[in-house]
Amino acid sequence: MKTTLTSFAPSRRAVLTGMGAGLIAGSAGLVRPVWAQAAPLKLGFQLHATGIGASYGRWYQRTADAALKKINEAGGIGGRPVEIVYEDDGTDPARGAEVVDKLNSQHGCDLIFGTLFSHVVMGSAPRAGELKVPYLVCSEGYHVASGALNRWTLQPGITDVRSQISSMAPWVAGNLGKKVTMFFPDYAFGYDHRDFFTKAIEAQGGQVVAQIAIPPTETSYTRYFAQIPAETEVLYHVMVGPGVLTFVKELGEFYGSGAKPQLFGFIDSLEAVDTATPGLEFLEGSHFWEAHPRVKPADAGAAEGDYRAAVGVDDNGASVADAKDVATYSHMFSAWETLYFIKQAVEASGYAGVADRQKLVEAMEAISDLPYGIERPQGAKVFNGKTHQAFGSQNISKIEGGKLVKVHTTTIDEGKYDDAVDYTTMSF
Amino acid sequence: MKRFAVALVLMPGAAMACALPPSVILTLPTGHYILAAALTVVLTALLGALTERLPPLSAHLLHEGPDFWPDLAGWTLGFVVMAVLLGIGFRGADDPLHNLLTLVFWTGVWIALPFASMMFGDLWRPFNPWMAPVRVMRIALGWRGKLGLARLGHWPAVLGMMGFSWFQIVSLAPDDPGVLARLMLGYWLAIFVLAVAEGEDWLEQGEFLTLFFALIGRIAPFWRERSQGRVRWMAGWPGAQVMRMAPLTVSQMAFVVVTLGSLSFEGLSETFWWMGLVGENPLEFTGRSAVLGVNTIGLILSWVVTAGALWLGLRLSRALGRGGFAAGPVMLSFLAIAAGYHVAHFFVTLITTGQYTLWALNDPLFRGDALLGLPPFYISFGFLSDPGFMQAVYAVQFAAIVGAHLLAVILTLKLAGRGLRLAGHLPMTALMVLYTIFGLWLMSTARGA
Repeated sequence: MKTTLTSFAPSRRAVLTGMGAGLIAGSAGLVRPVWAQAAPLKLGFQLHATGIGASYGRWYQRTADAALKKINEAGGIGGRPVEIVYEDDGTDPARGAEVVDKLNSQHGCDLIFGTLFSHVVMGSAPRAGELKVPYLVCSEGYHVASGALNRWTLQPGITDVRSQISSMAPWVAGNLGKKVTMFFPDYAFGYDHRDFFTKAIEAQGGQVVAQIAIPPTETSYTRYFAQIPAETEVLYHVMVGPGVLTFVKELGEFYGSGAKPQLFGFIDSLEAVDTATPGLEFLEGSHFWEAHPRVKPADAGAAEGDYRAAVGVDDNGASVADAKDVATYSHMFSAWETLYFIKQAVEASGYAGVADRQKLVEAMEAISDLPYGIERPQGAKVFNGKTHQAFGSQNISKIEGGKLVKVHTTTIDEGKYDDAVDYTTMSF
Repeated sequence: MKRFAVALVLMPGAAMACALPPSVILTLPTGHYILAAALTVVLTALLGALTERLPPLSAHLLHEGPDFWPDLAGWTLGFVVMAVLLGIGFRGADDPLHNLLTLVFWTGVWIALPFASMMFGDLWRPFNPWMAPVRVMRIALGWRGKLGLARLGHWPAVLGMMGFSWFQIVSLAPDDPGVLARLMLGYWLAIFVLAVAEGEDWLEQGEFLTLFFALIGRIAPFWRERSQGRVRWMAGWPGAQVMRMAPLTVSQMAFVVVTLGSLSFEGLSETFWWMGLVGENPLEFTGRSAVLGVNTIGLILSWVVTAGALWLGLRLSRALGRGGFAAGPVMLSFLAIAAGYHVAHFFVTLITTGQYTLWALNDPLFRGDALLGLPPFYISFGFLSDPGFMQAVYAVQFAAIVGAHLLAVILTLKLAGRGLRLAGHLPMTALMVLYTIFGLWLMSTARGA
């Protein structure tokens, strides 16, 4: 992921740091099909090409380009060709707001989408609101549905983290155990898991017997394992970052070959990492949440193969060009599904230009049913126009022979919760 | 930012997962490697000092012949390429990974060209984009004089390197093609005017890239020497050229210090250690905008600490050795360390972002061309999570840093002077060991950003 890449060159931002991942897919966005008539619909993409989000950015761009190609080949949106303008935000909230400005004013984009990192969303959404430009995020944050943002900000392409976490509890309680010890990084991301899961497992008659918060800068974990209560049946872990391999290795050393609790994690820990990587053997037989199963399930729908082929991903969730280049598969469908959501709303509203932006948002709010198909390869969704949030099924996979094998799919209803806001009552 | 803060207070939670990849390096016994490296440096210094048996670092003539290299053509080419890249920077895609200016500058000029220069001598000078326009303008103006800028020594280049380092390591958007193009154009014009006034030879004193390449190219095991219409192709151990250099002036030493300090901070600023120090969560790094001030201070401190450590080391060595250890010659040995750090720090960028550059050179308009004859390919970072590959990457970084320090130790032993007390070598050796440990620690510790 990043490194390095970091940001980009200077910081090996390798990271880490963008352009989708691909030549092939990458070029698609820049090659404009020749249309005889209408001017293109210009969609701004706030891309984490550099900075901490670069590894996701690479795949989000590759996915968006693939969707764009498919949409343009099928006649564009409302008969107009579509163009995506990518701007790098450095995964930085201050630059994010600047990028919103630039995409809106300088490039004249009709709307902006694609943002993944929550802090960039939080830094950019207010500016999008001021500029009155539709801002469609792909961040899975609960910030949209919580009511913290504005009428112009929507999250139609991915279920939010509150729903994801809550929907795991029934299966965990029914299949792995009811006494749970949680390991989570000691900041907002971890707190979401701590708070939402603790509440959800209690609703299932279970109990979180220990909450162990790990400082984000920690790189050695053994001393925390002593805090795991003996009664623990399930070890819920959402560690992320460079220390994940060390965490797993030390956990394996801690338990050795003796009895151990069931392990349940979120794929965020290993997104874009091969689960067969040496050092991860201890995870064999353990379970993970996945939004979109990386390894193509045996019962996958018809759209799954087409989606993988379009993005250039094989049945194991890796790049067709490099079996070791594992995609951010569980999350990146959101760029694809958001683009198709835009298509649906633009066509429904008769959107013709920036003067119609309000009409466009109203058309989005009016959408509710989002059926499964090539438009939504991750699965059917229900869009809540009041909270501006989409809800879909979640998946649980088990690592078998180093591969993630889907074992359960939740219903959409299992992830629903009471509305915390009604954006449709807010002014534009 | 204020709005952001307020929003976070209202809405705790809701943070997207971290995108930093799990690090293979963190699972390796790097502590042992670092210890072994430090011991190797110590033993080399002790054995060298005790026995005075050091490699001769002599230069060998490979071939001598008439010099056909067309200077003006190379310089004109350099200028034209720069002008085209600037045009792409201004008019091309805003996405840095789709813009040849950003890609060629950050992975080509700043990484690949220095790497190549460390092998084959200064490769910037033959294509220096100022030389041709400056020469032409001076002829056109009929101006052959000088303003006396040479009296400033290399200080203008020191300032240039400071500014560039800040831009690269601290500023908000060094990758943004528009930002980079504007800065490059402004800098090119400023240097152009000064060089027209002073003469193109001043570039090696006043222009930081010209000086950087001139110095770093001295590490190369292969190089060419040109004089009076003849060219001599030479070979020798890395450092053979350094042995034949004049002692560094104070401003040249300052340039080495700034280069070394910047490289150190470039690595340090990404570590979890530094992030913890400045109160940033590396798993949810707020971005450069949040650390602009503190990283500016950090960068300046890094220069000061580097200068202070070198000054102190030399001073103590002189005192304990009863003489010798003149700064001018001994500081030459730090060229090796600067080169080694450069390789270690930017190697991963070269093999990751470098793929985008290769692609963009192959297909500059992103429409499916194959100017380099390469078939379409996907950019691939799969190796970053491949333990075998990443161990090999670490081995390259390890070799660059240890090799550089061993060379620096040998150079110091040779350049410090003769007939000195052995104790004099202790402080400088200690400094080299610290630098080895620090350099290897940077490569093996948890990093974000």
